[in-house]
Amino acid sequence: MNPMTDLGLRFVRRPGPGGRAANLAALGATAVVALLVTFLIAGSLGLAHRSDRIGWRSADRADPATAIGAIDQTDRERVDGHPMIRLDLATLHQNELRPPPGLDHTPNAGEVFVSPAVAKHWSSLSKQYGVAQPTGVISDKGLSSPEELIVIRGVASISPDEHPQYVSSWNDDVMDSRMVGLLIAVAFGIILVLFPILSLVGQAAGVAAKRREHRLAALRLAGATRIQVLWLSAVEQAVLGLAGAVIGLVGYTVLTPLIARIPLGGGRWYVHDITASWWNVLIVLAAVPVLSVVSALIGLGRVSITPLGVVRGQTRKATSALRLGLLAIGPIILAAYGMQAAVVPLLIGIGFAALAVRVMGPWAVQLIGKTLANLANGPVALLAGRRLVDDPKGAFRPVAALVLSGFVTGFISVFMPSGDDDPSFQDMRIGVALLLALVFLTVAASTAAGAVGTALDQATPARALRRSGVPLRVIERSSRLAALIPVIGVGLPVVGFGALCGLALSGGKVITEGSSGLFLLIGQVVVGLVLVAVAGTAGAPVLRKASAN
Amino acid sequence: MSFQSPQPTQPQIVLSGQGLVKYYGEVVGLAGVDVAVRSGEALAVMGPSGNGKTTLLHVLAGILTPDQGEVWLGGERVDQLNDAARTVLRRRRLGFVFQDNQLLAELPADENVALPLMVDGVSRREAVGRARTMLAQVGLAAEVGRRPGELSGGQAQRVAIARALVGEPQAVFADEPTGALDAATGAQVIDLLVGAATYRGAAVVVVTHDNAVAARCHRVLRIVDGRVSESLGANR
Repeated sequence: MNPMTDLGLRFVRRPGPGGRAANLAALGATAVVALLVTFLIAGSLGLAHRSDRIGWRSADRADPATAIGAIDQTDRERVDGHPMIRLDLATLHQNELRPPPGLDHTPNAGEVFVSPAVAKHWSSLSKQYGVAQPTGVISDKGLSSPEELIVIRGVASISPDEHPQYVSSWNDDVMDSRMVGLLIAVAFGIILVLFPILSLVGQAAGVAAKRREHRLAALRLAGATRIQVLWLSAVEQAVLGLAGAVIGLVGYTVLTPLIARIPLGGGRWYVHDITASWWNVLIVLAAVPVLSVVSALIGLGRVSITPLGVVRGQTRKATSALRLGLLAIGPIILAAYGMQAAVVPLLIGIGFAALAVRVMGPWAVQLIGKTLANLANGPVALLAGRRLVDDPKGAFRPVAALVLSGFVTGFISVFMPSGDDDPSFQDMRIGVALLLALVFLTVAASTAAGAVGTALDQATPARALRRSGVPLRVIERSSRLAALIPVIGVGLPVVGFGALCGLALSGGKVITEGSSGLFLLIGQVVVGLVLVAVAGTAGAPVLRKASAN
Repeated sequence: MSFQSPQPTQPQIVLSGQGLVKYYGEVVGLAGVDVAVRSGEALAVMGPSGNGKTTLLHVLAGILTPDQGEVWLGGERVDQLNDAARTVLRRRRLGFVFQDNQLLAELPADENVALPLMVDGVSRREAVGRARTMLAQVGLAAEVGRRPGELSGGQAQRVAIARALVGEPQAVFADEPTGALDAATGAQVIDLLVGAATYRGAAVVVVTHDNAVAARCHRVLRIVDGRVSESLGANR
């Protein structure tokens, strides 16, 4: 075996003091990434599966003169207090075509097929439909969700005055209109959650980055080539990434029944709709380790180039104010295209804006750190400020996901749907809640992993400080301050920047009605601060133990 | 800069340990050590690795508590203090110099030296002023704004010495302070440490493997298997 491969595997198996905590934090963060990526892929496919089963109900592309059938649906009827779909179906020309999905035959006039949820309440509907018992029950293959309320009724004809939909097949592969809207919303959601997730990947790969930097720099100084050091890191990270991916996949599988209960797009989900397919699993098993390795290698560029500087703790190159210029690109793209634009340019605009936040974050952290250090009169603020100036990228990394979540909430706060019974508004509300849940899960994992990593990185100087008589509380308070400042100093302006991007897209109009947007923003601030506090709690025992005598 | 140690006349014992025993699980770290260091005296602690030198230093400095025995500093019993009190004692009455200087990489030299004072409530302006004065005394007046990564090994160790002395400690503890330095720089550093500390009347305890370092101290205590195997006096 290549000696560097062997060494990389050994570092995973026997990571040394503090290494186990670092590896566990990295593993946890990677597992969350894998879980989220699996969910995003499987969830999107679930929408497509659902659409495949019910898309025929939306079809309307046949010539009335040659169409084999006509359908007319309404959701004005109610059963047990809930809206129910009634779909009237008329066969216009006798045919040998397959019946609609979920039915054993195409309904003849007078026949009624019902979903299992309607069948339970048939006694209250039988008089209205004039049949004592339904002709049949629609199977899973023809329903959007296990609890869908739908009646498919065969009728002799449908008057043109009713504006029926004309179909040339009962199994048309037209996308269901509600699912189309959801898929577009999901695409936006994926873009919005993508950057926090990528930040989490970077965080997972960068847990205790300083500690690893020193170890690898020592190897470089001992004669290892740049390629050998990078290979060793790649091996170490690939193993952790793969293990994290497996844990994430297992976690997703365990959680699938719970996820299936999310009533997005008209009711709960069939578990098989959102079960990860074999190729979904393969994508996660390949992509998560690759992303982890790439993140780790990018983070180690400095070691491979200037190992001596790393070992001696020399100042990193200051980040440039030129980064600020990036902030303009996203809003300009969004304003130029507006809400009527195709999805791709909008995604590019949002992507640029989120990228700008990620890129300018360390610069802002450095600026705030410098100001804090200059104004400090006590050791806590001085230590925190100098730490931020010394390694603004390292300080921003643990909270990048949290700051980006501020961008997401700021953005969607402009578009919060109002309290309407329209199903698409309900989908939007559930979608926003789901998006925020994903983002905050990402943020929690990233912030906690970051806190553990930071604690490990600071263990050696903290130990010396404690031996010299500096109380642990001073060290802990400076660590907490160094974690909190990027969140407040960068996170809050970023919430505003997210809202600005939203307004750029909407042409300056606030779509949100009522106070839901305000609640969202307040919620973001509260969640952000709680997460930092929780992360501090996660990091404190690690710092205490790692810096103990 | 060099310091002339005053010839001690009836110097008092500042630091002492009596019957010190320390266990690490089944392993004996110290097996009954008696030691006393007078004001203005430098004691070198030598011996093979893993035989209790650093354990003795940590016990005397209140970093570890002995399982048996007593530690006294200037008339106060240290080993019975709780952790918080020992922390305050280390900060206010002791100074430390470690092998790899253990300076904070983020802080410039003057702030590294000023930090213990600031932790003790001294204003930043005063703390940094005193730190710069101390740095000037160890020959680093021109380096006050440099960070540890920008200093040579010898310079960084001088900063560590300045940090150890800035609070006017009663005792200074140094664990292999020249271990990472070449012989010539090491000699300069140990002369500076012993000279500057004893000039101020502090007791100095230096753990070292290096005979040249021990030769620059007043007395040598050799520890083998957690016991004092030899005590040699009056090198200087």
